[in-house]
Amino acid sequence: MQAKRILVALAGSSVDPDVIRIAIDIAKPAKAEIVAIHVIEVRWNLPLDAVLDPELERGEALLAGASKIAKQAGATIQTELLQARDAAAAIVDTATERVCDLILLGMPYRKRLGRVYVGRTVQNVYVNAPCAVLAYRQEESK
Amino acid sequence: MTDDERKDETPSLEERTKKTGRLVGNRYLRIHHQSDFRRSGDHYVAGEEALREESRLGRGYQALRRVLFGPRLESDADATERLSVVTGLAILGSDNISSSAYATEEAMRVLAFAGVGAFVFLTPIAVAIVGVLAIVVLSQSQVIAAYPNGGGSYVVASDNLGTLPGLVAASALLVDYVLTVATSTAAGVAAISSFLPVFYEQRVVIGIGFIVILMIGNLRGIREAGIVFAGPTYVYVLSIGALIVYGIFRVVSGDLPPPATPPAPFPPEGLEALSVLLVLRAFASGAVGLTGSEAIANGVPSMAKPEQRNATVTLVIMAVLFGTIFLGLTFLAQAIGTVPDQSEKETLNSLITRSLVGVGPFYYVVQIFTAVILALAANTGFTGFPRLASVLANDRFMPRQFAYRGDRLAFSFGIVALALVSVVVLAAFNGSVTNLIPLYTIGVFLAFTLAQTGLIRRWRRLRTRGWQWRAVINGIGAVVTAVVLVVVVIAKFGEGAWMTLLILPILVWLLLSIHKHYMQVQDALVLDRLDDPVPAVRPPVVIVPIGRLDRAAAQAVAFARSISPTVKAVHITTSEESAKEFRERWDHWSGRVPLDVIESPYRSLVPPLLRYIDSIGKRDDRPVTVVLASFVPHTWWEWLLHSQTSIRLKASLLFRPNTIVIDVPYHFRDEAGDHTHRPSR
Repeated sequence: MQAKRILVALAGSSVDPDVIRIAIDIAKPAKAEIVAIHVIEVRWNLPLDAVLDPELERGEALLAGASKIAKQAGATIQTELLQARDAAAAIVDTATERVCDLILLGMPYRKRLGRVYVGRTVQNVYVNAPCAVLAYRQEESK
Repeated sequence: MTDDERKDETPSLEERTKKTGRLVGNRYLRIHHQSDFRRSGDHYVAGEEALREESRLGRGYQALRRVLFGPRLESDADATERLSVVTGLAILGSDNISSSAYATEEAMRVLAFAGVGAFVFLTPIAVAIVGVLAIVVLSQSQVIAAYPNGGGSYVVASDNLGTLPGLVAASALLVDYVLTVATSTAAGVAAISSFLPVFYEQRVVIGIGFIVILMIGNLRGIREAGIVFAGPTYVYVLSIGALIVYGIFRVVSGDLPPPATPPAPFPPEGLEALSVLLVLRAFASGAVGLTGSEAIANGVPSMAKPEQRNATVTLVIMAVLFGTIFLGLTFLAQAIGTVPDQSEKETLNSLITRSLVGVGPFYYVVQIFTAVILALAANTGFTGFPRLASVLANDRFMPRQFAYRGDRLAFSFGIVALALVSVVVLAAFNGSVTNLIPLYTIGVFLAFTLAQTGLIRRWRRLRTRGWQWRAVINGIGAVVTAVVLVVVVIAKFGEGAWMTLLILPILVWLLLSIHKHYMQVQDALVLDRLDDPVPAVRPPVVIVPIGRLDRAAAQAVAFARSISPTVKAVHITTSEESAKEFRERWDHWSGRVPLDVIESPYRSLVPPLLRYIDSIGKRDDRPVTVVLASFVPHTWWEWLLHSQTSIRLKASLLFRPNTIVIDVPYHFRDEAGDHTHRPSR
């Protein structure tokens, strides 16, 4: 499969730089576009368009970091900051709207009750995405 | 949101678009903003993209700047743009260390007037100078401890003695920094012409070249300058150290070489009698070696953390190196019996080296690196002057531009200003070290004396633990430096010190005048209360000068009507026929703005227009607003094809009171659509 447009969802975890690099590795041979997004999840007790300054600042910083990594690797990426009630739904909707053929997600290595934990967002994207989904799990920390 | 609501919305850098997802209730918000700006709390930060030049010329200029000065640095990089002890010694200590290369010679040149026999006083003079240096260093370490934010003598004196003594100290240091650059460069070139006499005639040009290189190096930022300039400093210290050790070994082993003969040696018999004044003059000339010892205390904030500790360590290493080299060279000069060159073509340093090792590779290493460190000593000026100027600018005693930090976090304006003034001084004194030296030492000793006196008052006022011994140290420092100052003034007055004494009060007056202006401006501009209501202003009387009824004019009239109901167009013409023709066209035009047509039989456009604006302004107390239609050509050369009357008019109205000038640019490519030629009707 040769992706033409890849959507990379960044959650602000330690796995983000790896996910961006993987996206670049996949995109380069296929000359595919990369769209990196970060979704700020807004609690239900706040309006959807609430101005959440710390979250906005953090989101912009991590998208700027992603652009920087791409620039260092000789690639350019588009970035988008979103605000939604549910990150997975916003990721899927953006992928649909932008006609992406691959969604790339990162999972930090986390354990719950002795088992590797896959978060709600990754699971929901897997279930609802209209396109291929690739989830990269971080190496087990030693 | 209706279109009208959208129109009235205040423009923002951030655009928020509500989107609806595939499933019911899946709504999300897309936040889009200019990539040039990033959010930081409640404000935006302009990124590097915001500084990108759009035009080809601008991009070329930026690329050239990047090559010369390096990429831009963010303000946050300030912490990394600091000097370690190793680089700090090279940048802040090079002036003092390099002085060791010529201090002995300067003292000898004065003693030589009383004949070669007077050189017996050389060692006592050198020991006295090193003693003074020890006291100065001890006192400077007190300054570092008391004023870690730098500023040195100016801050100490103004804080404890008052504004005027502070400004005297500041002026003295500013003059001294300029002279540091000029003298060090001249000394560096002298060292080059010692072994390459062919360059002697071009010494001013070579000196200017050195200053330009140092200016560019310093505009690249202090850390980079430190890294680049550290190497030569250490090679000089090592090579001259090896020479001294070798020389002492030969003296001790009784293998004394014959002294090398300079091109024009001083005669053995003196022209003057040996007097106390002559010895004092020799001391004053040798004391030039103490200059530069204040640079570290002035530049504490340039040091890496812990700033105070690093500054003190650097200060002590600098003093030890200076003292060792100075005493070593003085000892060797006396032991070998070297006589300085009257014509200044060969330095004493070169003569000693030639006597000991002959003209071989080591001779060239010593001479080349002496030349380089002498030129690099100017770096101390390039570090001290801009920083002191920035402190003065922040206190409103110097133009605000001096406080501005450039792309590389260097005080660019101060660096360029220092380079320009130093070039003028170097050229004015024909690149002669001996002519520059008499001007040199006064400033630094005046600043030392004021700083020490200020510290005594500080200790007496604060009475912190151990204040008595601190006050005693500074007291001794103040007395010793004051004595040296008096000696230098008396001894060097006729040789040129009068110039420094003349410049200092002028400079102080200048600084005070600048301060007075800034205070007046502040009084006029500052808002007394933030809750005062914004004054209601009536719409102004708008005058639109129209040269030709065209798209640019129509755009200007439309804008004028948007800001006021009282709009008047004015057209200046050179003949009655064209006045009638213009009036006819205007009446047919849909602009509906009253027009005054003025005939100017002398064909002058701007003066009648200015008189017209004057007379309208006199009849109405509302501010006059002149809206100018200016045509902006696409390329630079197209500017030459247009008269650009609006620029002349703008310049004429710039200082007219109660007048607002608004430029409505009409961009050729943006507005004209297709550029196919359409014949005018």
